[in-house]
Amino acid sequence: MIELDVPDAARMHALGERLATLLCAGDLLLLGGDLGAGKTTLTQGIGAGLGVRGPVTSPTFVLARTHPSLVGGAPLVHVDAYRLGGWDELEDIDVDATLDESVTVVEWGEGLAEGLAGERLEIHIDRSVGPAADAVDLRHVAVTGIGSRWDEDQLRRTLSV
Amino acid sequence: MTSQPLILGIETSCDETGVGLVRGTTMLANAVASSVDEHARFGGVVPEVASRAHLEAMTPTLHRALDEAGVGLEDVDAIAVTAGPGLAGALMVGVSAAKALAIAVDKPLYGVNHLVGHVAAEQLENGALTEPVVALLVSGGHTELLEVSDVASAAKLLGGTIDDAAGEAFDKIARLIGLPYPGGPHIQKAAADGDPSSIRFPRGLTSERDMTRHRYDFSFSGLKTAVARWVETAERDGVPVPVADVAAAFQESVADVLTRKAVLACQERDIGTMVLAGGVAANARVRDLARERCAEAGIELRQPRLSLCTDNGAMIAALGAAVVEQNLEPSAPDFATDSSLPVTQVLV
Repeated sequence: MIELDVPDAARMHALGERLATLLCAGDLLLLGGDLGAGKTTLTQGIGAGLGVRGPVTSPTFVLARTHPSLVGGAPLVHVDAYRLGGWDELEDIDVDATLDESVTVVEWGEGLAEGLAGERLEIHIDRSVGPAADAVDLRHVAVTGIGSRWDEDQLRRTLSV
Repeated sequence: MTSQPLILGIETSCDETGVGLVRGTTMLANAVASSVDEHARFGGVVPEVASRAHLEAMTPTLHRALDEAGVGLEDVDAIAVTAGPGLAGALMVGVSAAKALAIAVDKPLYGVNHLVGHVAAEQLENGALTEPVVALLVSGGHTELLEVSDVASAAKLLGGTIDDAAGEAFDKIARLIGLPYPGGPHIQKAAADGDPSSIRFPRGLTSERDMTRHRYDFSFSGLKTAVARWVETAERDGVPVPVADVAAAFQESVADVLTRKAVLACQERDIGTMVLAGGVAANARVRDLARERCAEAGIELRQPRLSLCTDNGAMIAALGAAVVEQNLEPSAPDFATDSSLPVTQVLV
């Protein structure tokens, strides 16, 4: 597991951009963390890094949004499982149909979307609870690669500033 | 009046299956199979959003619309359908149905933009939009500020949310303070007994720096986090959460930013009419503040009734009617759905 401290939204975005350099079609990322942790901000960075058509915004209401590539690469499929109650409902929105040709990011996917692929990247973002202690609104990011697709050393080199 | 073509509109971009019939700017039918009551049972969970639900609702909703208008499928002159933006699988059902119908009755088919459809809906309420308008679209899935000079052909995005949609923020905050789904009406109800000035929650993207980069954009993620932190702090200190005050202060922040930026857009772009649409336009505070600020600024506020504000088929038929009136080319028979269709593309 790789652990990082991210001090603000701009650097969360930059982390997503760096992560995007490692991503290709078929990759699945599961993002977890409480309301307001920064999952969408990280995904916006990934979208910018992949060079997909934006804007990348929270897909909670529409459940999933496909952002085609503007640079001839893989599209980003941005899924939000916040409103989904179980595996059946995730299957209903046909995320598995586009897995192979897309980079798929599932917010609120922990404990639900693991079955989509054996190899995946799990990212959990924690924010402190209660009032922001001071001007710094720190996020703790934990990245775990599951399966041989992910090389921990390469992840660490790419994600660390 | 009857000389104007009869347009059938189909909408399936999210969880409403809508079929409407329109001639010009006259609505003849607006049948919607809604699943909000179903959602309420699951506390905001949406099994019905599956394409399958649209599939099951499509034929009965189509028949209901035709009966309501007292016409037959053979009377339809053209078909319009939402091509995007929306949920890919859901859009696919509407587009497939529309293509099948168009082939069956041998009539032209137009794949149109859902967002611009919301603006076209206002034409069914108060007549044709003849001047450019600024449209504020706020719903569960959308928070956008558009400039529309011509609904059929000239729409552009002035700004939009950079993170959460306004309606989504209502739903998430409702869950946070223990109110049921859907969040909008319940927060409005709770807020009626609260003091909006008791807590000062942040106004997203209104600082001087943000107004340079994100002049007409919105952000509700920071507000959501601020409310979450405020509630967590009260809970940690063992203080009961003043639900009415939190609801009122949160609602005030959303209504304030939405209406402030929409009025600013009208003023800076020298546009005299604002259209307020989308489900969140049903929120009394948003509506009142919009009315108040538009009146102060000398802007005409136009807003369709609630059944035309939420997703429906008549708005798509209204947009189709505008497109047909301008003799624009029908969509290619093999056009595809586009879940993130840009607002500048009114017709695919």
